[in-house]
Amino acid sequence: MSADYKGRNIRPLRVVFQLGAFAFFIGQLLGLPPFGTEPVLRRVFLPNAACRYMNTAPTSCFYYQLQDSLAHGASDLFASALIMLLVVILLVLVLGRTWCSWLCPFGFVQELFSDLRELVGIPFLRMGFASRVLLRRVKYAILILTVLITVPLGISALGLAGCTGALSLPFCQVCPAKGFFTIFQQILGLEPWSTRLPLLAWASLLIFLGTNVFMRMPFCRICPMGGLMALFAGGSMIYLKKDPDRCTKCRICLRVCPMDHDRVYEEMGRIDVGGEDCTLCARCVEMCPEEGCLSLAAGPFVLVTSRPPKKVGLGRIFQRIRGNDR
Amino acid sequence: MKKEDRPARYIKERKGYFSEAQVDRTKKESKKMSQRIRKEMSSKKVRAKAMSYFDDVMEYGGPRVAELEKFKKGGGKVVGTMCVMVPSELTYAAGARSIRLCSGYYECVHPANELLGDAGLCPMVKSTLGSEMVGANPITDLVDLVVTPATCDGKMKLAEILEDWVDVHIMNLPRVKTGDTTSKTWLAEIEFLKSRLEALTGRSIGKKDIIEQIELYNSAQEVYRDLLEHRKGRRVSITGQDAMLVAQASQMDDVRRWTKKVRELVLELDMMEREGRFVGEEGGARILLAGSPMIYPNFKIPSIVEDSGGTIITDELCTGIRLMSDPIVLESRTMRGVMEAIAEKYFYPCSCPCFTPNDERINRIKMSIKAFGAEGVVFHSLRGCHLNNLEATKIELELKSAGIPMLKLESEYDEGDVEQVRTRVEAFVEMLRARR
Repeated sequence: MSADYKGRNIRPLRVVFQLGAFAFFIGQLLGLPPFGTEPVLRRVFLPNAACRYMNTAPTSCFYYQLQDSLAHGASDLFASALIMLLVVILLVLVLGRTWCSWLCPFGFVQELFSDLRELVGIPFLRMGFASRVLLRRVKYAILILTVLITVPLGISALGLAGCTGALSLPFCQVCPAKGFFTIFQQILGLEPWSTRLPLLAWASLLIFLGTNVFMRMPFCRICPMGGLMALFAGGSMIYLKKDPDRCTKCRICLRVCPMDHDRVYEEMGRIDVGGEDCTLCARCVEMCPEEGCLSLAAGPFVLVTSRPPKKVGLGRIFQRIRGNDR
Repeated sequence: MKKEDRPARYIKERKGYFSEAQVDRTKKESKKMSQRIRKEMSSKKVRAKAMSYFDDVMEYGGPRVAELEKFKKGGGKVVGTMCVMVPSELTYAAGARSIRLCSGYYECVHPANELLGDAGLCPMVKSTLGSEMVGANPITDLVDLVVTPATCDGKMKLAEILEDWVDVHIMNLPRVKTGDTTSKTWLAEIEFLKSRLEALTGRSIGKKDIIEQIELYNSAQEVYRDLLEHRKGRRVSITGQDAMLVAQASQMDDVRRWTKKVRELVLELDMMEREGRFVGEEGGARILLAGSPMIYPNFKIPSIVEDSGGTIITDELCTGIRLMSDPIVLESRTMRGVMEAIAEKYFYPCSCPCFTPNDERINRIKMSIKAFGAEGVVFHSLRGCHLNNLEATKIELELKSAGIPMLKLESEYDEGDVEQVRTRVEAFVEMLRARR
């Protein structure tokens, strides 16, 4: 849902990726054979691949497994947790946070909410600087809190081993994705209606739906998995590149950014302006009106770069046919 | 408050303050100046024929006046704007027409001098004031409302003085771009302007109207970008004065028709280049023009530069390229989203020296130097334009470290300094050529 006038058109490609990933996760509906209850693939945990509670997803969210192995990892000195963490860090170093905006099904859902909001005509909330910074810190706080809750559980000397269960997955209890995907699957008939959601999951789901009415990507801003990735995304191979010499400081990049990532606007020295909250969705690259100012780059290669806006889509064709000024 | 209900602040007895003879002289001299400049510009050996349309639009008492008079007879409203931060999209969306009020007529300075004494004020502000006070220019006489952002001190006070003659809407422009409140303040000002325009025309501005205007202006910019491409080559087919005239005409003319005419001009320039018809001399020094605004017909500096062997290939003026750069990019099509897009376009990329900090300006100059292959910068400031005077120091230092020479000029609204300026420009152009 955007203007006819824009530079690049990247969103359609991204939607293809997101739809592809989504279809993969609910492949059963499309006739793919079920992955079974505990297939090999199901033990692959990728950053934000899919929610663990999405029964048909072949791979699942790394944050689930991180909590699990931290809660049970004291016996092997957290070796398995650390190895998995290393793999994820490696993935993030290469792909950056493309996991978020190109594959994550929950991110996709929020983008659809944004489209719906635009369709209905509800303006989104523009936060002040202070609230943006505050919200940005929440995801790290959740990350630290998760570690603080899960790690003591696994240390037998503390005698807390009996308290596992819900506590060994503290974040999943409050994560709105759990509720959302459970109900989603119930509607699709992949999950029996008898499955009951705990009250906490209902509450977080309602908060999630409520914030989506007036906010862009509300969950992504506080997602602890995103926080974990943000710690290492600063120097990723795929990155958001800015040529400060071509920047006119028009602030379009910041206005269109669904995550309110200030660095893309503020930074005038460094070339890599991604990292932190940037999910590499390339919305700013699409909208930036300056030739070659913002680009999505992989190492030394520029994948796509900004250009002055032209009429795109049907508008362009009409313009050609009529040949007039519009 | 309507101007009739308000006691005058600067002139208690408006009637007879300026003698008939003075009013006549101001009108006559202004007309003469416009004719002289038009003759000078159109007598160039090589010039696109399509340019004569833009001459007409800008001419003193030209066909645009009759057109607007007719529009006003039909109940239409004309809005005069001062600085480039006023969104014409809103004016047109309200069904009104917008024209730029800043005046470049030398004779109009005198009435303002009489009122204010020698206030050390920028001559452009004085000329604008004088032109409005004595009714010297038929097109500026047509305005129903003046919209002026409080940019520099001159424009700010000008707004207050002008209230004695015409309704003025002053916009509170935040002059510090950083910080958290600026965008909110400016958005509120733009929204207030919208309601003021709605009250003026009695027509409510809908989302669709604004988006239509935004698209018109965006396509106008697209065409002007094509024109700029013709200034990047080794030899150019359009002079800096002509390109500036075209840009300024966009603020006087109906933008739809303007776009069409510029498209014709671009086609003609294409043809001229194929035929090998170029303006300026072979190997002329490529010059970027920066500094204070140069409003038609005050084209003194560019005409001296282009007569002395320089070729103005680009500029950084609010009366030139800045008018036609930075498109409005819509992210959200809700009313609020559209207003935010307009507000940010007219605020953040603007590199007027009234803003602090203003690193965008030097960045833009450097960018243009690279894109257009400029060899030197002529920085002009009007006498009394403190902001440009101050920025000149900073810009000269920056350019020095980039290895680009800069010539700083100061000028008044009269012909007295022409020869002195010419000598300095000629020496500068020679120096640029010798550096090659």
